[in-house]
Amino acid sequence: MTIEHQERRRAFGFVTPALIWTCAFFLVPFAVMVLLSLAHLEGREIIQTYDLDNYVKIFTEPSLFKGIVVSLEITLIVTVISILLAWPLAWIIATQVPQRYQRLAIMLAVLPFWTSYVVRSYAWALVLGQNGVVMQALIGIGILDEPIQIMATRAATIIGFVHFFVMLLTLTIYSNLIQLSPNYARAAADLGASGWNTLRLVILPLTLPGIMTGAFLTFVLCIGDYITPQILGGNNELTMPQLIMLQLGRRGDFPMASALSVILMMLVTLAYAATARWLKMERV
Amino acid sequence: MTADVSLQSIDQYFGDFQALENINLHFDAGEFVVLLGPSGCGKSTLLFILGGFLAPTSGQVLIGGEDMSRVAPKDRPTTTMFQDYALFPHMSLRDNVGFGLRMRGQSRKARHDRADEMLDLVGLLDKANHKPHELSGGQRQRVALARALAVDPEVLLLDEPLGALDLKLRRQMQEELKAIQRKVGTTFVHVTHDQEEAMAIADRIVVMNHGKVEDAGPPEDVYLRPKTLFAANFMGDLNRLSAAQPARVGDYIECVRPENIGPAGEVALGDAILENAAFFGTYHRCHFQVLDEVKTSYVAHLPIGELPQVGDTVSLFASNVVTLEVTE
Amino acid sequence: MRILSWAYLAAIFVFIFLPVVVLVLFSFQDSRLPIPPFDGPTLKWYATVLADRNMMEALANSLLVALISAAIALLLGFFAAQGLSRVKLPGSVLMRGVLIAPMTVSYLIIALGLLTVFNNLGFRPSLWTTGIGHVVINVPLCFAILFAAMGDHQKNAERAARDLGASELQVVFLVSAPMLKPALLAAYFLAVTFSWDEFIIAFLLTRFDVTLPVEIWSMLRSGLSPATNAIGSLVFLVSIAILIILELTVFRKSKS
Repeated sequence: MTIEHQERRRAFGFVTPALIWTCAFFLVPFAVMVLLSLAHLEGREIIQTYDLDNYVKIFTEPSLFKGIVVSLEITLIVTVISILLAWPLAWIIATQVPQRYQRLAIMLAVLPFWTSYVVRSYAWALVLGQNGVVMQALIGIGILDEPIQIMATRAATIIGFVHFFVMLLTLTIYSNLIQLSPNYARAAADLGASGWNTLRLVILPLTLPGIMTGAFLTFVLCIGDYITPQILGGNNELTMPQLIMLQLGRRGDFPMASALSVILMMLVTLAYAATARWLKMERV
Repeated sequence: MTADVSLQSIDQYFGDFQALENINLHFDAGEFVVLLGPSGCGKSTLLFILGGFLAPTSGQVLIGGEDMSRVAPKDRPTTTMFQDYALFPHMSLRDNVGFGLRMRGQSRKARHDRADEMLDLVGLLDKANHKPHELSGGQRQRVALARALAVDPEVLLLDEPLGALDLKLRRQMQEELKAIQRKVGTTFVHVTHDQEEAMAIADRIVVMNHGKVEDAGPPEDVYLRPKTLFAANFMGDLNRLSAAQPARVGDYIECVRPENIGPAGEVALGDAILENAAFFGTYHRCHFQVLDEVKTSYVAHLPIGELPQVGDTVSLFASNVVTLEVTE
Repeated sequence: MRILSWAYLAAIFVFIFLPVVVLVLFSFQDSRLPIPPFDGPTLKWYATVLADRNMMEALANSLLVALISAAIALLLGFFAAQGLSRVKLPGSVLMRGVLIAPMTVSYLIIALGLLTVFNNLGFRPSLWTTGIGHVVINVPLCFAILFAAMGDHQKNAERAARDLGASELQVVFLVSAPMLKPALLAAYFLAVTFSWDEFIIAFLLTRFDVTLPVEIWSMLRSGLSPATNAIGSLVFLVSIAILIILELTVFRKSKS
């Protein structure tokens, strides 16, 4: 046996436990779920069949199909707003804040990460409620005469999501920005570009990897999240995760929940395909 | 400790690519050997085969007469000094140097004594408790040397150890390496692409190209009497005599080094005009053009103070002319 | 540009900190609703949650699951990174993909898959099943952080150690792990945080012994209460404390 063979066998030995764990508790359950999505619920029995009835139902029954539309709409709006808010923040911290305070500034910008996710949504419910701080302040200044309804609407869900994902995107874009050589901006200025043109034509395109990595993560986490829409958005319009939980809770309809999950998974795969050329998942 | 090294018919393939072709070499015990060649010539591959990090596709490695071809690095009487030193950043210099002895189960006292002895040898005893990141490049290089020598190997392998140092420090470290090697008597096999470094430290130079040995021998032989045109070119500048037509593969051509051209010598080159000259500190580098039909030009290194005026005509002679076959 | 920048910075920081400030402030509220006007301060809601046996049990459960599942995930991720960073194996791209994959999948789907399988096998939902789920989501995280931290530098040092006679275990414990200490700590801390804060897997895979996020969730059902603010603030405080300690000790040192 050669030295390379020994090395390889040893390396395989190192990787195997993690692979076994991931296969047993991730790949296999996922495969089982895909099979289950082809089955039927009859009464309280699950009958394993192999047809696409569940999928057909999702696309024909308005209450289910609307879930896909609502989820996609919310996710896209959240992703776009978060990028628009996070990019300037990351840029200001990377270029306007003095070097020695940057680490502090970025840590402050993501500090609310360290509250519990459930508690953070709850806190937004407090802030946005009829008698919450925001309404009271707006009435106090005289912008509003009486409180308007934000809680239990799509707006509340979007605000809660944007809060979380602005922090996430600020991190990915900031780490992209500080890796750029300052000579890019110098070269652009040297060649006659204005500050605005330097930003638009040079710096912005160079941060695309950071933006896309953050956008993909935002998409994945946002479209699959149950907590924020459930606490802030209420039951007026349901997102896909809410529908999945509904299938499980009300009737124990695992096949339908599985079918919805498979579709959710496909949407994520599409988002991955769209952003793949900018992503370096190992670096996340 | 020291031992001789034999490489017998070594071939190395990476997939379809042949990295080494029929390497046969013998190094005496206690020799300072330099493997010299351009990047990609196979010299580092050969070093890794010696160290046990690669098993040759075929052929044998004998160290002290024993077949080591398939023995793991840790069981060989060799240690390697790596290109980036690979010092352990979380350990003090003493712990770094004592690491090999710790692996051999020596007591703390014994390995500290030995580590201090080795640090003293490289002049860093006062920094024994420091961490590697507190050192300069040259100092790290010395620690790596001390660590590799602490386990008393029979053969020490050095993979371009001076490559990361600046020129002045490199020259200084060359002398130190040579002095330490004389002191410990271990066989050193050193890889570099710098021919001046090779000549400065080697007892024996092995010139390699495209996975083959072009030439091997003492520095004077390789420089003055190279066996191949590649070796001759790699060791320094070369003039071709009477270059009436372009050389073709298989031709034999006569070559001479710039310092062997001058106003006196064994072979007359004819009258030539000095076209320009540059001062290089220890010599003048001069371009001459011979007054014949084809206007052959030569580069000559003339001693300080013996420079004709630019435009003057001089009779040129050459000595130490070698005849070499054109192979590519 | 300067002024505009600072104005933007101020505005977005207000947005980012608004919920946290409201959360903490109204945990000191005297009356029963955590909404303006503020009529505190009092610590009585902290006393309430600290005396709440269910809440404290859930906290202990969360801690247990987080510490153990993160340790297992770290071990699996570390060895996987060690194996894959060292030699080019046939199929190493595929293996890396498989190991990273759970990171790109919604936790809800992971939870649903595990629930289905455990139901079929007759496993009861428990802290164990939750722990298994948490290892699944944290292996990719630990693997990715450690794999990125293992450069050529690391590989060369390991090779040098082997050359000097170290056995495989000695290489791992005397060279690889100490060299990776900051990355190992960062990965472990992040994994603990993720598990500690994870809701949906714990919600679907526990029944009687619940974790803290699940307990808080059921508390929300009974409406707004400063007690929820109090437990939320406590959790936040502990996270921040750990973060500051880590920043001041490990990461500051490793930078020099």
